[in-house]
Amino acid sequence: MAYSLPLLATLAEPPAPGGSTADAELVAQLQQGSEAAFRTLVARFQGRVYHTAYSLLRSAEEAEDVAQEVFVEVYQTIGRFRGTSALSTWLYRLATSRALQHRRRQQARKRFGFFTSLLGFTDQALPEPPDHANPQALLEGAQQLFLLQQCIGRLPAQQQVAFTLRHEQELSYEEIAAVLGTTVAAVESLLFRARHTLRQHLQSTARHV
Amino acid sequence: MSDSPIRPGSDEEWQALLHQLRHQPQAQPQPFFYARVQARLSARQAAPRLLLPGWVRRPAYAALLGALLLAVSGDGTALHAAPAATPAGQVPQAPTR
Repeated sequence: MAYSLPLLATLAEPPAPGGSTADAELVAQLQQGSEAAFRTLVARFQGRVYHTAYSLLRSAEEAEDVAQEVFVEVYQTIGRFRGTSALSTWLYRLATSRALQHRRRQQARKRFGFFTSLLGFTDQALPEPPDHANPQALLEGAQQLFLLQQCIGRLPAQQQVAFTLRHEQELSYEEIAAVLGTTVAAVESLLFRARHTLRQHLQSTARHV
Repeated sequence: MSDSPIRPGSDEEWQALLHQLRHQPQAQPQPFFYARVQARLSARQAAPRLLLPGWVRRPAYAALLGALLLAVSGDGTALHAAPAATPAGQVPQAPTR
C-alpha cells in the first residue's frame, strides 16, 4: 500500500500530544515573519528532520534535498499552522511524507529514464542507488544491520515510517500515531507486522548465508 | 551451521540488532545548512511558478506527444485528400517521368 499524503493533508495538523511553550512562542514569531525565529527553528529541528529523511532514503544528498524542502514549506505555510498540534509532529509528518514522495519520484524518473534512454534523447545520467555493502563493513559484523536497513527499505510505506520513527527516532506510540494521522492501536499493528516481516526476512537470509 | 549460542533470529539477536540500529551515529546535515535553505527559499521566491510539468516543456517530448496524438486520432483525411480533389468521371493518372 502506498503511503501518500497530499499537500493539504500534510498541511492539516494532526492531533498530537504535548507541544512545548517554547515551540508555541517560536510559531508565533514565525507567523509575524521573524527571520531570527526561522533560523532558530531550523537549528532546533534540522537534525531530526534530516535524520528522518535519511532513515527513509539512505542517501545523504536526497536527505539534504528533502530536509531543505521541508523547511522551505514550513516557511511558506506557517501562516496556516494553528498551533493545535506539536510543531515537531507537524515537522515529522512533513519530513516523512516528503521523503516518500521524493522516493516515488525517483522511482518514476528511473522508469521514465529507461524509456527515454531507449529513444536516445536523454541528457542526464541516472544515479544508481548507493551500494553501502563493502567487504570491510561486512567483515566488521555490520552485515546484519545492513541487511536490516535493506529490509526496512522494502517494507510497505506506512510500516516503514512507523518502524523508523519508533526504532531510530525513538518516538512514542502516541507521537507516531499523531504523525501518521492514525490511532495508537493501528501503530501497534503496523509495528507488529513490520517486526514480523523483518525477522522473517533476516532469518531466511541467515539460512542462505 | 554456526556454533554461536545466539542463533540467527533469536530474541537476543533481534534486540541487539535493534539496539545497534538505535545507537548508530545520527546522520546530520552538512555545515551551513541554514544558508542553503535560505538560498533555496530566495530562488523559489524569485522564480515564477510554471504551470506545465517539465517534460511537457521539452521540445522532444512535445513533438513526440504531437506525433502520438496525430497517429491515434487521425482518420486518414490527409492521406485521401489528393484523390478526392480530382474531378468526377476522370481517372487520376499516374505521374509520368
